[in-house]
Amino acid sequence: MSKIFARTWLIMVYLFLYFPIVTLVIYSFNDSPLVSIWSQASLRWYRALANDRDLIASVVLSFKIALMVGLLSVLFGTLTAFVLSKYKRFYGRTFFFSMATAPLVMPDVIVGLSLLLMLVSLQHWLGFPERGLLTILLGHALLGTAYAAVVVSSRLKEMDVRLDEAAMDLGCKPRQVFRLITFPLIMPSLISAFLLTFTLSFDDVVLASFLSGPGYSTLPMVIFSRARLGLNPSINAVAAVTIAVVSVAVIVSSIYHVRTQRKRDHEIAMRYSDGSQ
Amino acid sequence: MATEPKPNKVKTDLLRVEGVTKIFDGVIKAVDDVSLTVAQGEIFALLGGSGCGKSTLLRLLAGFEVPTKGRIFLAGQDITDLPPYQRPINMMFQSYALFPHLTVWQNIAFGLQRDHMPKAQIAERVESMLKLIQLTSFAQRKPHQLSGGQQQRVALARSLAKQPKLLLLDEPLGALDKKLREKTQVELVGIIEEVGVTCVLVTHDQEEAMTMASTIAVMHEGTILQTGTPDEVYERPNSRQVAEFIGDVNIFEGQIETYAADHVRIRSEVCVHYLMHGISGHVGLSVVVAVRPEKIVLSKKRPAGEVNWCVGEVVALVYFGDHTIYHIQLANAQVIKAQQMNRTTDLAEAITSGDRVYASWSGLALVVLVQ
Amino acid sequence: MEWSGLGSVGSISAFWSQLVVMINHFKKLLSGKSLLISLPYLWLILLVAIPLLIVLKISLSDMGPTSVTDVLSWSQGWPTIKINFSSYLFLASDQLYIDTYLSSIKYALLTTFICLVVGFPFAYFMARAPKYLQPMLLMLIMLPFWTSFLLRIYAWKTLLVSNGIINNALLSLGVINQPLAIMNNSFSLVLGMVYSYLPFMILPLYANLSKLDLRFLEAAADLGANAFKTFWLVTVPLSKAGIIAGSMLVFIPAVGEYVIPELLGGSDTLMIGRVLWDEFFANNDWPMASAVAVVMMLLILLPMSLLSSYQSEQAESKL
Repeated sequence: MSKIFARTWLIMVYLFLYFPIVTLVIYSFNDSPLVSIWSQASLRWYRALANDRDLIASVVLSFKIALMVGLLSVLFGTLTAFVLSKYKRFYGRTFFFSMATAPLVMPDVIVGLSLLLMLVSLQHWLGFPERGLLTILLGHALLGTAYAAVVVSSRLKEMDVRLDEAAMDLGCKPRQVFRLITFPLIMPSLISAFLLTFTLSFDDVVLASFLSGPGYSTLPMVIFSRARLGLNPSINAVAAVTIAVVSVAVIVSSIYHVRTQRKRDHEIAMRYSDGSQ
Repeated sequence: MATEPKPNKVKTDLLRVEGVTKIFDGVIKAVDDVSLTVAQGEIFALLGGSGCGKSTLLRLLAGFEVPTKGRIFLAGQDITDLPPYQRPINMMFQSYALFPHLTVWQNIAFGLQRDHMPKAQIAERVESMLKLIQLTSFAQRKPHQLSGGQQQRVALARSLAKQPKLLLLDEPLGALDKKLREKTQVELVGIIEEVGVTCVLVTHDQEEAMTMASTIAVMHEGTILQTGTPDEVYERPNSRQVAEFIGDVNIFEGQIETYAADHVRIRSEVCVHYLMHGISGHVGLSVVVAVRPEKIVLSKKRPAGEVNWCVGEVVALVYFGDHTIYHIQLANAQVIKAQQMNRTTDLAEAITSGDRVYASWSGLALVVLVQ
Repeated sequence: MEWSGLGSVGSISAFWSQLVVMINHFKKLLSGKSLLISLPYLWLILLVAIPLLIVLKISLSDMGPTSVTDVLSWSQGWPTIKINFSSYLFLASDQLYIDTYLSSIKYALLTTFICLVVGFPFAYFMARAPKYLQPMLLMLIMLPFWTSFLLRIYAWKTLLVSNGIINNALLSLGVINQPLAIMNNSFSLVLGMVYSYLPFMILPLYANLSKLDLRFLEAAADLGANAFKTFWLVTVPLSKAGIIAGSMLVFIPAVGEYVIPELLGGSDTLMIGRVLWDEFFANNDWPMASAVAVVMMLLILLPMSLLSSYQSEQAESKL
C-alpha cells in the first residue's frame, strides 16, 4: 500500500515536471499558427527558424557570451574558492566571503540594477564601457563566479590537505603543488562549473535586459520579448531544439559518469578478490 | 676513523633537536622546550596520547611548521628554516596521502622527478622500490585499486625513493585493521632495516612503539617525560605518568620507613615493600611503588616473610586462554590486577571469583617513584 | 615610531631601518599570497560592493528634472552631502508599495510551503528507492534544471491561457462549458513558481534524507511507533537542516522573482521584482527603483541571518 503510494507520488511529480516540456515539444510540430490548437504535423516552424535572422543573431551572441562567461567564471570562481579554502585568516575574509556569496542570495533584479548603476557611473567618469556584449559579460561573469566558487570549493573541501603536504615533502615547490596535484584533482569540478555557468548565462534574461544596449539582444531576451506579447510558435521550435541539445548532452555525460563509477566500483571489488594483501 | 682502536660501531647522532617550542595562536603550547637526539640507523618512536604534541613535533621535523623557539639540526646542518621541499627528510603520512590521480609507479617516481633525475635512473629506482615492497605487478594501478596494506607499502616506497637521510612515519599502522597490523609491522621493520634508514615514528599505540622502535620517547603535554629503550621505559619508568601510560600497572602509595645503605622499606596502607637496590630518598618521603600485573604471583597459601605481599578477594577475572587477569580487592578497597599464566589444565585447582588470595612479588619487581 | 629626535644622526639611521622594514613589508604584500587574494577581492569589490553602494547612494538622492542629483556634490570647492529620504518616505506612505511587499512575501511563502509539501515526500521516497534507481531519479530532477527556465515558463503559458491546451482539451471533452480562468492570476503565478523552484527544494532534502540512517526508522518502528508517528517524530526532525536549506533556496529567489509574474501573473498579482523593473524601465525613476531594491535586500537578509545563526548553533552543538 505505502509502496504504491510512494510510486504514485514519484510519478505524479515527474509528470508535473515533464508535462509542459513534452507538450511544448509536441506543439512545435504543429502546423497551425495558433500555438494551442493542433491542426497537423509539420516542420513549418523549424523552417521559419532557419530564416529568423533576429533569432539566429541572438543565438550567436548568447553563445559567444556564454562561452566567455564560462571561462571567466571558472577562472575567478576557482581563485575565490582557492583563497577561501586555503587562507583561513586574512584581513577582511568575512567581507570577502559575503561578497562572494551575495550574488547567490540576491534576486536577479537587484544584481542587474546595481551593476547597471555602477556601469553608468563608470561610463560617466571614464567614457566606457558602452552597454552591450561587454557589460552583459561582466554581469553574467559575476553571477557565474559565485556559482563556480561554490562548485569548486566543495571539491577543494573534500580534498585531503595532506596531499599538498605530501607533494611538498617530496620536493614540490608551492607553485608546482597547484599544477601537479591540486589542478588535476579539481579538474572535474572545473568542467562542471564551466557547464553550469555556461547554462546560467545562456538562460538569463533579467541581467541581460538590464545590462544590454541597443543592438545586443541575447536569445532569452528575444524569447522573452516574444513571449510577453503572447504565444508564438517559433518559441516552441526554439524550445524543442534547446531541449534536444541539452538532453543529449546531459544523458551522454551521465551515462559516462555512471560508466566510470561502475568501473571504479568494479575495480574496488576486484582488489578484495585479489587476496588478503 | 681508521686509527680509532674501538672495534665496535660508534653511534653518531643524525638528528638533534635543541630546545624546540611551538606555540599556536600565541597561547597553545603544543611542543614545550623539547630536546632530543636520534642516532644514525635508529628507529625512534614518539609515543603519547592524542594532543601530547607528538604530531606537531613530527611536522616540525618535516618542515610543515616552524618552531617558535629552538633549532633542529640534521647531520650537523641547521635545517630549522628550510622549507619542507628542501629537506632531505621524507614522510609517510597517516592514511598515506597517495596521489589519487597518479599510478603506483608515478606516485613513487614523483619525488625523483622533482629532483630532475635522469629518466633511466628514475625507472631503475622505481623498479627497485617496487621489488622491495613486492608490488611490481601493480605498478600501473591507481591507489584506489589497492588494498589498505598495499597502499601502505606504496606510501613507504614513495617516501624511501629519494633515499632520505631521515624517514618520518606518522601512525604507520593506524589505518590498518588489527589482523593486518602484526604482519605489516614485521614487513615494515624488515624493509626499513634493509634500507638502513634512520626513522622517527609517531604513535599512540605502545605495542607498536615497543615492537618497532629501538628508542622510545614518551610525550605528555608537549614535553618528553622519558627517553629510553623499550625495556627501559617499561621496566624502569621515571614517573608515575610513564608507568601508567605504558602497560598496566598497580600503584601503591606509601612512605619510606627505613632508609639503609643496602635496603629500603616502604610502608603503604596494605603492605610493606622491601627493596634491595638503592633509591635516593630519606625516611618519611612520600613515594609510589609500581608493580606490573605480570610480576605478581597469586597463591591461596600465605607467603613466607612479612614483606612484598598483600591479601585480598578476587572480585573479577578476565580469561584470555593463555593467561588470566585477576582483579583483587584489598582491605583498603583498592583493586589491583594480577596476570597469571594458565599453566595447568586442572580447572579444580584454579583460583576463581570470590577466593581469598595472597598476591606476592619479588623486591626486584618494584619500581619506586617519587611523587 | 618615535619622530621627535629626527634631527640626530642616530635617529636618521633608525628612520632608515624603519624605511627598510616598511619596504620589506610592502614587498611581502606583493608576494604570492597577497596577489592571489587581491585578484578575486578586487573583482568582487568592483562587481558586488561598489554596485550595492551605488544603489544605496542613489536611493538616497533626489530625482531631478532630467537626471539624478548626486548625493555628493561640490559647492565652492567643498563637498556637500545631500541625503534625501523622499524615496523611502514615499515607499512607506504609499499603500501600493506596502501591499506589493506583503503580497511578494505571501506568494513566496505559499510557494515555499507547497514545494515543501510536495517535495518532502518526494525526496523521502526517492531516498528509499532502490540504490541503482537513485542516480536515474536524481538525473530526471536535474534535467529540466539544465533546460531553459524561460522556455519552461512559456510552456505553462501555452497550457494555461483561456484558449490554451488545457482549456481546449477540457472543452472538447465536455468537462467544462467555458474556459477556466487559470491564467494571469495568483493560481498561475504560484503554479509557475512551484514548478520552477521544486527542484531547489527536492535536491537538498534528498541529500539530507539519503544520508539519514534508515536504522533510526527501524529502531522507531521496533519501539512500536506507527508509520506516521515514525515519520513525524523521527524523520522530520532529523531532516531539519534539509528542510531549512530547501526552504531558503525557494523563498529567496521567489521573493524577488520578475520573469514568472511578468509571464504568468496578472495585473492584480503584485510582485516587488516587477515593480522595481517598472520603476526603472517604465518610469525611469532611479532613486525609487534603488530604494525598492534596498528594502528588498533587507527583507532577504532577515531570514538569511536567521539561517546563519541557526547553522552556527548547529555547528556549536556538534562540537
